[in-house]
Amino acid sequence: MIEFEIILASIISMSAPLVLAVVGETISERVGIVNLSLEGTLLITAMVGFAVASVTGIVLWGFIAASLLGGLIAFLICFANITLHINQIAVGFTLTILLGKLSSYLGQPFVRIPGPYTPQIDVPFADTIPIIGKAILDQNIIVWISILSIFISWWFIYKTKSGLILKATGENPYSAAARGINVRLVKYIYGVLGGSFIGLAGASFSLHSHYGWSNNHTLNYGWICLAIVIFGGWNPVRGALGAYAFGALQIIALKLQGVTFGLSQVLPLIPFPLMILSLVLIQYSNEKKLLPDRVRRIIFGNMPEYLGITYKRE
Amino acid sequence: MRRIMIRFFFTPHLLENVVAVFLTLIFASVGLLFLGISPVSVFISIIEGSILDLDSLSRVLLIGSIMSLSAFALIVTFSCNIWNIGIEGQMMMGAVGTVFIARTFLGDSVLAIPMEILTAMVFGSLFGLICGLLKTKSGVHEIFGGLGLDFIAAGLIVYLVVGPWKRDGIASTSGTDLIPELSWFPTLLEMKFPILPVVIFLFAYLFLKFIYSRTSLGLKLKSVGSNKQAFSRLGLSSDNYILLGFVIAGAVVGLAGSIQAAGIYHKLVPNISGGYGFLGILIALVSNRKLGVAIAISFIFSCLMVGGSTLQIKLGLHASLPGIVQAGLVLIWLLIKASSLDLKAINFVSSKLIHD
Repeated sequence: MIEFEIILASIISMSAPLVLAVVGETISERVGIVNLSLEGTLLITAMVGFAVASVTGIVLWGFIAASLLGGLIAFLICFANITLHINQIAVGFTLTILLGKLSSYLGQPFVRIPGPYTPQIDVPFADTIPIIGKAILDQNIIVWISILSIFISWWFIYKTKSGLILKATGENPYSAAARGINVRLVKYIYGVLGGSFIGLAGASFSLHSHYGWSNNHTLNYGWICLAIVIFGGWNPVRGALGAYAFGALQIIALKLQGVTFGLSQVLPLIPFPLMILSLVLIQYSNEKKLLPDRVRRIIFGNMPEYLGITYKRE
Repeated sequence: MRRIMIRFFFTPHLLENVVAVFLTLIFASVGLLFLGISPVSVFISIIEGSILDLDSLSRVLLIGSIMSLSAFALIVTFSCNIWNIGIEGQMMMGAVGTVFIARTFLGDSVLAIPMEILTAMVFGSLFGLICGLLKTKSGVHEIFGGLGLDFIAAGLIVYLVVGPWKRDGIASTSGTDLIPELSWFPTLLEMKFPILPVVIFLFAYLFLKFIYSRTSLGLKLKSVGSNKQAFSRLGLSSDNYILLGFVIAGAVVGLAGSIQAAGIYHKLVPNISGGYGFLGILIALVSNRKLGVAIAISFIFSCLMVGGSTLQIKLGLHASLPGIVQAGLVLIWLLIKASSLDLKAINFVSSKLIHD
């Protein structure tokens, strides 16, 4: 039982950055903006978060700086796409490569140096509560934020009027505009908000789960998160479950490292075939109408209709 | 009078691009200064390090050929309005095909090289076809499908390297055993001049140029991208032409994978694509779907990469600098073109000239 609690706690702790990135990307994609800079943004914000925290000695500044930078990068994508009408994929992809290399270049002084880390929070009586005590309460602030972000974003997207506007803009910006919604503003707001979550995720890699900085510190995690968002059907709760499942997979891979050499290398690739499979299933069930609409949506989620498409006001 | 002179010397399109290049370089230089690097010293070192001695020049040609091939592949798919993010996977499969042949009895015979090239094209195009089928038959957007397939190909290579094709005794991710020398791509004389890669990429260029300028196939490939509905009304299946685009792109970039495996590494290593596929996307983005422009940019980028190693030694600059400059240039170019900053600059200058 104790063993199980420890494993559960480490899965939740390890997955915190993934959860934050998945929630951020989900918000962004729901409003129709594919933040393809995810991979590069995670790298540079991980570097900047760690750098700022180790220079100032205060972890909080690291998180704030990374979050602002993530928002700024997303703003650049929004500006390029919403205002200049450049293809989102083109900008996002170029930024991924630029920021990834830039993180190696600017991060040189911070490679493998010690710095501050996110402190554990002591909750009184945490040990007395079974499972939850160890797995959720006995963590640090960023893990709490990652857990809260799942439910708050879910509540916001599905249960509030602003969430409805967010979804409507992603589904069909032209209809939304006809209903009097300021589509450009909405896209800017949630694009940047999503980006700042991704920035937070980057910092929580370097200040929490994969402590420190080295070249290509978070390599491929961005692409993995992109896959998990789709696998989660653009729903933050299911996306987060996907992230936790991937976290569990990583811990299994870590344990197996000594046993089978190849398996630990191949296991982290599992989200990708799953992503393709879920996209195939979404389309298949849409076409064949095998399931009632509601059931289908619960199982597979729905891709925002205007995802990745540039909005041009007529 | 001045206006006529300007018109005479520059066609508007050329003038625009010249101004845009000029602006891009200025912004990039400012960016480099922000990083604390002198743009002039970078420029000089790149020239010194890339084309002034034969060794480096050979390397520029080798890497330039690989980049051109991946840019060609992307121009083909871009012309069908497809984002072929799966390019890396297709290149990796080309390399897998090459090493596969080299490891059979064919690898130690004179047939090795033609068979390697052929198999690389087949493997690359089949992998492209998977992405195309996912797109046309299952509605999987090619960006997500392609991304997934990239990682699946990477996983397959890791599996091969540590599994069935592992080196005798030790399984390590440093790669397979070297392939037999008969299956290496030959170099010219004692110099390292990469004759075969250059021939391959020139052949691919001429082939694609011919298709796009002389055949109805090229026209159809272009029109399926520009107007899918009109295309269907003509009674042609747009899906089939999109698939064909993927197949051609996969075959072309498979060649690049073949060069990597048989011309550079002489074995299969994880990450054998070296990121050249993704770099090809950047090149195709700025080349405006023109094959010749893509070659020019590929070789400039190749000089940057090869000269980058000189920068590392002489100026003590980090190995990531060439990548920063490449992606930075592309991003600045995209922003300038989209905001028509080049046109605004021309209008501003010409209005000044006329007023004077």
